[in-house]
Amino acid sequence: MKKSVLFFVFVVFAMVLASCNGAAPAGGEPEVCASDEFGCAKIPAGQTVKIGMGAPLTGDYASFGVDISQGAAVAVKDAGTVEGFAFELVAQDTQGAPEGGAAVANKLATDPTVVAIAGHIFSGSTEAAIPVYDKAGIPMMSPSATNPPLTTLGSKVFNRVAFTDAVQGKFAADYLYSKLGFRKIAVLHDGGAYGQGLADVVRDEFTKLGGEVVGYEAVTPGETDYTATLSALAASSPEAVYFGGYVAEGVVLTNNMKQSGLENAVFFGCDGTFGTEFVEKTGANGEGAYAASLIPPESAEKAKFDADYLAAYGVGAGTLSPYTWSGYDSAAVLMAKVKEVAVLGSDGTLYVPRGALVAAVRGTQGFSSITGDITCDAVGECNTAGPTFYIVKGGDWAQAEQ
Amino acid sequence: MEALRKKFSLTLPQNSIRIIRIIAALLLLALIIVRAMDVAAKSQFGADTWLRLSVSGLIIGGMYALIAIGYTLVYGILFMINFAHGEVMMIGTFGGYFVFEAFNAIQVSGADGSQLSFLNAYPVIAILLAFLAGMTIAALSGLFLEKIAYRPLRGAPRLVPLISAIGASIFLQNAGQLLFGPQRRQYINPVVLDRGIGWNLEVAGSTVVLTYTGIFSLILSAILMVGLYLLVQRTKLGRAMRAVAQDKKTAALMGINVDQIISRTFVISGALAGAAGVMWGIHNGLFNYFVGFLPGIKAFTAAVLGGIGNIPGAMLGGMFLGIVESVGPAVLGIDFQLKDVLAFTILILVLIFRPSGILGEALTEEKV
Repeated sequence: MKKSVLFFVFVVFAMVLASCNGAAPAGGEPEVCASDEFGCAKIPAGQTVKIGMGAPLTGDYASFGVDISQGAAVAVKDAGTVEGFAFELVAQDTQGAPEGGAAVANKLATDPTVVAIAGHIFSGSTEAAIPVYDKAGIPMMSPSATNPPLTTLGSKVFNRVAFTDAVQGKFAADYLYSKLGFRKIAVLHDGGAYGQGLADVVRDEFTKLGGEVVGYEAVTPGETDYTATLSALAASSPEAVYFGGYVAEGVVLTNNMKQSGLENAVFFGCDGTFGTEFVEKTGANGEGAYAASLIPPESAEKAKFDADYLAAYGVGAGTLSPYTWSGYDSAAVLMAKVKEVAVLGSDGTLYVPRGALVAAVRGTQGFSSITGDITCDAVGECNTAGPTFYIVKGGDWAQAEQ
Repeated sequence: MEALRKKFSLTLPQNSIRIIRIIAALLLLALIIVRAMDVAAKSQFGADTWLRLSVSGLIIGGMYALIAIGYTLVYGILFMINFAHGEVMMIGTFGGYFVFEAFNAIQVSGADGSQLSFLNAYPVIAILLAFLAGMTIAALSGLFLEKIAYRPLRGAPRLVPLISAIGASIFLQNAGQLLFGPQRRQYINPVVLDRGIGWNLEVAGSTVVLTYTGIFSLILSAILMVGLYLLVQRTKLGRAMRAVAQDKKTAALMGINVDQIISRTFVISGALAGAAGVMWGIHNGLFNYFVGFLPGIKAFTAAVLGGIGNIPGAMLGGMFLGIVESVGPAVLGIDFQLKDVLAFTILILVLIFRPSGILGEALTEEKV
């Protein structure tokens, strides 16, 4: 009997202790947390407010991930503090793969101090990550996930500053047909969500405009010889070869075209094939090749960012990938919204109501930044302006006639 | 159970299996011919396209063949698949690359007093040294691979060295990534061997380019293959290799140092893979630490196609696979994306209808 009384006392004592741990901060917790759908992210005094990012930091596409995270890191430096709390960028390696995207999402979602995600970087990796963040109520702002269906999945948390593949494909098809006057093109892609999505749009739009798509094929990514595929396409003599995919395969295709009977056809890439690596590795073969890019027009903000980037990393902005400005913008939008909704509790802990942040990010209106005004629509498309087309001239990218 | 099996024979008699196989093979062949004729009737491709496809197939086939010989040599002697062979080729690719890089950096005065890189001033020496470096370093890695990963497991069951080989392959890939970085590099060729240009042939009103790098690779792989054949058939080392392949114990009794012959086999197969690696770099340009994986798998397929353990079989298998990959989809009128599906379908068919490969395993009896 005595033992059980002792036990009872012990349990009560333990409960009081436990509630002290949990309830003492609850004393400082603002009301908004209780009413918020996802509750609050609690950042204890002395810690940083973390902006997560899932990016390919190693592997074939590492230059994209490293560059975008560096752009976002510049934004973090510029953002200052919220209620005395500093921001911090936590970039995790996805290797660009869907599996990596899901793993990183699960890791970031369990960190209570991660309030928002500036990413992910690739469409496949993003698609795998969206359900995880949806459940946790963590808003995303992707600088570069451009696959069109991503905003049709009904996700409340996913937004992007990148223009979609659908928009880019439409502009590209129009440019090929109206501006360059081509009537017969071949369309290639790398079989990935991004490349094939883009290729499908170009094929459909070009046909709609009245042109003829004489070949539509996929190449196996990672190979270094596509002469067989190109030779077969050459038989139907297309005026241009549109390619949806990344720079590694774009380089091989461009180099192989001249020896495959396509010496007179124009290589027309996408924003995935844009960058200095394309020019470096295609050399003379790359002359006259087109690509699309989201490199923003010159402005005071861009000049300031470019200088900061150069000072911090020793390379010019945009030499690694064209997404670095979008990386800056997506992180900047997220941090501005965190500042709007964050509440400092009476206990010195910073509370960020997750549901309110999700709504605030989706409700972004006229946020002025490097890539232009960012205004999100109902499904999370925050940049509906088209791409800029570039052409290789004299061994470097130059803005093509618009 | 035994009695039951005797009563109800579940297997068909040997003869009828053979007849069914032949009938099935003929039907399949007829189907392919009908499809090919159907496609040909639509005449989508002209002579120029066929020539381009065949040339591209021959060039890649030559490289497959060189790598496949390595698989076959090792299998012939040790009855194991050296799955790290593709990585040996990768090491060779890097070896040649660094020689070209170094020679490109050295400036010399040309005959007319102008400054140009050593690479373009003495291209023949540069190419020779690149191949020498690539083959030597690949041969050395083959040698150490055998010493470290396979020799301690010589007496173990056959599955054990296979697992060790897969481990070695993963180790070498990751070591390559750590040492040389994950980024793609590009071979700097001497101007005389520039990629993408070559002899222009006018065929069916269109220009077919026979690239210098491609023809160079094709000729060099032919020379190396003939050289290897002579080595195996005509020299003392070759005879010793064949003896060890036939019967290790008896060969040892005849005074052959079996361990040494096995080491030398790895050196030879490594050197061939290294040569294929340098060719791969010169012809295709782009590569990174992962370059050996796909060719390794394809060459293994080629070795099995031709009959593993059989050297002419590996050569034939490599060429056959290269041609099928580039010409096959056009003949059957299917997407080029399906070339790997086609190649592996053919592998399965060959294994069904001729389990020992096209030319047959040279030493089938001893293996079992």
